[in-house]
Amino acid sequence: MDLLNRYSNKQNINMKRIDNYIWMSVLIILSGILFSCEKEIDIRLDGVEKRYVVEAVVTDEEGGSKVLISQTKDFDEDNTRATVSGAIVSMSDGTNSIDLEETAPGEYTSPTWLGTPGTTYHLRVQIGDEQITASSTMPDLIRMDSLYIREELIFGEIQKLATIDFMDPFGVPNYYRFVLYVNDRKIKQIFAFNDELTDGNANSLSLYVLTEAEDDEDKIKSGDVVRVEMLTTDAAVYKYFFSLANSATGDSNSATPANPVSNLRGNALGYFSAHTIQRKEVVAP
Amino acid sequence: MKLTWLLIPIFFISIHSYAQNKVTLSGTVRSKSKGETIIGATVSVDGKFSTKTNEYGFFSLQIPAGTYQLVVSYVSFTTYSDTIRASGDVVLHVRLDDAAQALDEVVISSSQERSLGTPQMGVEQVDLQEVKHVPVLMGERDVLKVIQLLPGIKPAGDGNSGMFVRGGGADQNLILLDEATVYNASHLLGFFSTFNSDAIKDMTVYKGGMPAQYGGRLSSVLDVKMNDGNNQDFNVSGGLGLISAKLNVEGPIQKDKSSFLVSGRRTYFDMFLKLSSDSSINNNQLYFYDLNAKLNFHLGDKDHLYFSGYLGKDRLGVGDVFGLDWGNTTGTLRWNHIFNSRLFSNTSMIYSNYDYNIGINSGTNKFNIYSSIEDYQLKQEFQWNAGNRNNVRFGLNSTYHTIRPGEVVANEESSVNDIFMQKRYSWENALFATDTWKASDKLQLTYGLRLSAFSILGEGDFYDVDGEGRVIDTMRYDRGEFVKTYLNLEPRLAASYQMNDYSSVKGSYVRNTQNLHLIANSTAASPTDKWIASTNVVKPEVSDQFALGYYRNLAGNRYELNVETYYKTMQNQIDYRDGADVYNGNNAIETELLYGKGRAYGIEWLLRKKSGRLSGWISYTLSKTERQIDGINNGEWYNARQDRTHDIAIVAMYQLNKKWTLSANWVYYTGDAITFPAGKYIIDDQTTYYYTQRNGYRMPDYHRLDLGATWQLKQKKRWSSELSFSLYNAYGRENAYVIEFQDSKDDPNRTVANQISLFRFIPSVSYNFKFK
Repeated sequence: MDLLNRYSNKQNINMKRIDNYIWMSVLIILSGILFSCEKEIDIRLDGVEKRYVVEAVVTDEEGGSKVLISQTKDFDEDNTRATVSGAIVSMSDGTNSIDLEETAPGEYTSPTWLGTPGTTYHLRVQIGDEQITASSTMPDLIRMDSLYIREELIFGEIQKLATIDFMDPFGVPNYYRFVLYVNDRKIKQIFAFNDELTDGNANSLSLYVLTEAEDDEDKIKSGDVVRVEMLTTDAAVYKYFFSLANSATGDSNSATPANPVSNLRGNALGYFSAHTIQRKEVVAP
Repeated sequence: MKLTWLLIPIFFISIHSYAQNKVTLSGTVRSKSKGETIIGATVSVDGKFSTKTNEYGFFSLQIPAGTYQLVVSYVSFTTYSDTIRASGDVVLHVRLDDAAQALDEVVISSSQERSLGTPQMGVEQVDLQEVKHVPVLMGERDVLKVIQLLPGIKPAGDGNSGMFVRGGGADQNLILLDEATVYNASHLLGFFSTFNSDAIKDMTVYKGGMPAQYGGRLSSVLDVKMNDGNNQDFNVSGGLGLISAKLNVEGPIQKDKSSFLVSGRRTYFDMFLKLSSDSSINNNQLYFYDLNAKLNFHLGDKDHLYFSGYLGKDRLGVGDVFGLDWGNTTGTLRWNHIFNSRLFSNTSMIYSNYDYNIGINSGTNKFNIYSSIEDYQLKQEFQWNAGNRNNVRFGLNSTYHTIRPGEVVANEESSVNDIFMQKRYSWENALFATDTWKASDKLQLTYGLRLSAFSILGEGDFYDVDGEGRVIDTMRYDRGEFVKTYLNLEPRLAASYQMNDYSSVKGSYVRNTQNLHLIANSTAASPTDKWIASTNVVKPEVSDQFALGYYRNLAGNRYELNVETYYKTMQNQIDYRDGADVYNGNNAIETELLYGKGRAYGIEWLLRKKSGRLSGWISYTLSKTERQIDGINNGEWYNARQDRTHDIAIVAMYQLNKKWTLSANWVYYTGDAITFPAGKYIIDDQTTYYYTQRNGYRMPDYHRLDLGATWQLKQKKRWSSELSFSLYNAYGRENAYVIEFQDSKDDPNRTVANQISLFRFIPSVSYNFKFK
C-alpha cells in the first residue's frame, strides 16, 4: 500500500488534496488487482550553476530570528546543507535594525531580536557581490485553543491524527502553517493552509501524516509525545509553502515541477517569513 | 465586409451549373440485414460519375439523361449493380448484402478505401470490424485506443484513452457522439473510453483539413456515430469480459420504418474488490457504466427522425470518507428532410452535460463540491448537389454554454463554508459554407469558410489583470449583457490532384479557433480538470495548419501508402503561472494563467495491407511540438509535454481459419518531454528540488507488445458466439508511468529517482454472443 502514501500530498484541507485523493484511490484499487511495480532507476541529471538558498524567519519569540544560508547541490551529492559562511545579514522593522551573527556555519541568529504582529520586517543579506532582500509582515496571532489526538479510518486503517482547534477570524484572509513533531522527530511534510473554505469558522484541523507505510516511525502510536507548532504567516509565505508542496517535492504526478514562488529579491532561492508561533504538546492515548 | 466572402462559393456554382438535359439520381443506401444506413458507400454510374453517401446514407448525383450501369459498393458488403434508365429524376433505395454472410470463403475485409480523388486529407476512418480484433488493455474494445495506433494520434499515457493529435493538447480534440460534444470521453481516469464499441456504427477522425461544418477545437475532430438500430429483426448481443459486462438490444418498432437500440455496459471489478481480505481495498468503490439508446422513425420518403441519448457515470469511493461521481449526458434529436433530389437538410437539437460531484466526510470536514458544463445547441445544415461538379454544404450552429466552476455545500457542523463560484454563460455561433468542386477529372477543390462568433454573457464579474497577474479592475455585468464577442473567420481550403489510377497528391490549409479551454495543472488527466470559456482576458486559441500529402495504392489495391506532412502554429496557448492555485475560490482564474504560442510539425507514414488473410498496418510519425510562453522557461521555446520524436505502431491481424483470428500490435515511442530537477537544497529540513528548464528531459522510451486471439465458437442459425483472449504488454516491459525523486529509504542522505510502472502482462478473456 505504499502507493497510497506516494500519492498523498503534503497538505491538508485544500482542493489540491482532492486530486491526490482521486489518484491515490484509483492507484490503490488498481494495484490491488494489477501488477504495478516500483524500482530505483538511474537518470543522468546535468549539474548546473550553484545558487544561494536563504531560509529566513523572524518570530514573536525571543531568539526566534534565524537565517540559514546555503547553496544548491547536484542531485548525486549527499543531502547535507552546503552552508555559506561570511555573509552579512541584517533585519529591520523600518526604525530599528540589527545585524545577525554567524553562530554556526551558515547559521545566522540574534538572541534579542523579537518580532511583533502587525509589523513589516525587512531582510538584507550580502554574500560577496550578491545582495538579497525581502520583506514580510507578521500577522496577528490566532489562538491555538487545543491539541489532541483524533482517530480516523483511512484506507481501512485506524490512524491517530494530531488535531488542532482554533477559531478563524471572520472577514480577513488568514494563512497558517503547522510543524509536527513525533517524539521530538520533525515530520518531513508541509502543512500550509488558508481560510478560503473556512473563513470565520471554528476549525478542528487534523494533520494527516502520509508517508511510507513501512516508515512506521512517522505514524503516531499510543504513548508518543506529539508536539505541534502553529504559525500564522502572510500571504506570500503561504504561497511559497503552497507552491513548494505542490511542485518542488519531486512527486511528478502533481503539478508541473517548478521552483516555489519566492518572496526574495535577488538571485537566491528560499523565503523570508515573519510569523507568530505557538506550541502545544500531548501524549497520544 | 468579410461576410461577402461567403458569397463566393455561390458565384462559382452559378458558373458551373448551366449544363442541360441533366437528371438527378438520388436516394439512400442501407444494409439489407439490418436496415442501417451506410455512411460513405460509393455510388458510381458507368464509372464516369460517382459520389458517396452522406452521414445519413443519402446521396444525390447529377448525370445527363440516358441508360447506365449503376454500381453501389461499400467495404464488407456485396457490391450491388443494376442497369438504370434515367430519362427523368430517379429515386433509388439500395440495400446491400453483408458480404461476410454471402461468401463462404474466408475474407478479411479491412478498412475503408481511402478516396484518392477527394480533397479531404488528414482523415482516418475506423473500421469497427478491426476494432474487434486489436488487442487492448483488459480486453475492453475501445475505438479511441485503436485510433491511437494511427499516425499523428498519440495516447496520453500508458493504457490511456486520452490523446494528442499532431502536437495539440488533450483538450483540443472535438469529440462528438451523434453530434453532441462529449467533454470528458474517458472512464476511470482515462484507462477506458466512454464509447461502447457495440453501439457505434462509424468513427471518423480529422487530424487536419477539417470540413467547415466542424469547429471549436484546434487539433482534431472525432466524429462518432451510433448505430440506428436494426429495423428488420430483433437482435440481442452481449459480452462478458474481465472487467465489464455488456448487453445490446435492437430491433424494429415497425419493420422497415422505425427501430430502437439500447446498449449498456457496466464494469464489475468492484465486486472483486469486495473479495479482498485487505480492508483498505474492500470498502472502496470503483465502477462505471454507460447507456446508449437510439430511436429512429421514417416519416414518409422525405423525412426521417432520430433520437439518440448517452448516459455515462463513474463512481469512485474510499470508504465513507471520500466519494467522487462524474459523467457525461448527451441527447440529440435530429430531423432529416429531403426538399428535393438535390437538397438535403438536417436539423439537430442537442444537449450535452458533463459534471462531477465530490463528497468529503472527514473529521469536521463534511462537504460536497459540484461542478458542471452544460450545452444547448441548435444546428441546421443543408447539403446541396449543385450540379455534377459542385457539392455544397452550408448551415449554422448555435450553442449556449453554462459553466458552473464550483459549488461547495457544507453540512452544518462542518468547518467549511458554502461557496458558490459565479456561473459563466456564453453563446457560441457559427455560419459555414463549403463547396467541393470537381474542376477536372484530376483536380478537385474544397473551399469553405466558417465564421465563428463567441459571445461572453453576464451575469458576473469580469476582471482586468496586469502583467503580474494582479486584478486591477473588476467590471460587473448584468444577466444577459454582452461582455465581449470574439469574431473569427476560419478559411478551410483543400485540393487534390489525382495523378493516375493509383496515386494522388493533396494539400490543405485550415484555421481553427477554440473558446473553451481545459485548465489542468496536474500532469495527468483528472475528472476535476476545469473547463473555462474565453473571457475578456483569456483570448480564443487559434491554429493554422498547412498540410501536404501523397497517397498511393500498391499491388493492385491490396496495399496503400499515405504520407502526410504538416506545419501548425497555435496562438493564445494557456499555461499556469508557477505555484498557481488551480482551485482558488475567487473567480479570477485569469490571475493564475500565462499565454503564449505553439508550433508543431511532423511527417506521418502509413502503410496498410487492406485485404487477404493477413491485414494490418505500419505507422510511423516523426514530429516536434513546442511552446513559447513568457514567464515559463525564461520565455524561450520548450518542448511540450506530449512532444514525442518517434512514434511507431505495427498492427497485424491474421485469419488462421474460420475459427481463429490472431492479432498483435507493437508500439514504440520516444518518452515524453518532462521536467527533472537540476539540483537540490534543503528547506524546512526537507530535500527540495531545484528546476532550471521546463521539459528539458525525457521519460524513458516506451514500447509494448500486445497479443490477441479470437475464437469463433460453433455457429447456429440464430446464435453465434466467440471467445477473445488478449495479453497486454506481452513481454512485460516496465514502462515508466511516473518518475519521482525522493530521499532514499535505505540511506536518507542520498536522493534517488524512482520509477513506477503499471500494467505488465495483463491477460484477459471475454465472451461475446449474438442472438437474433
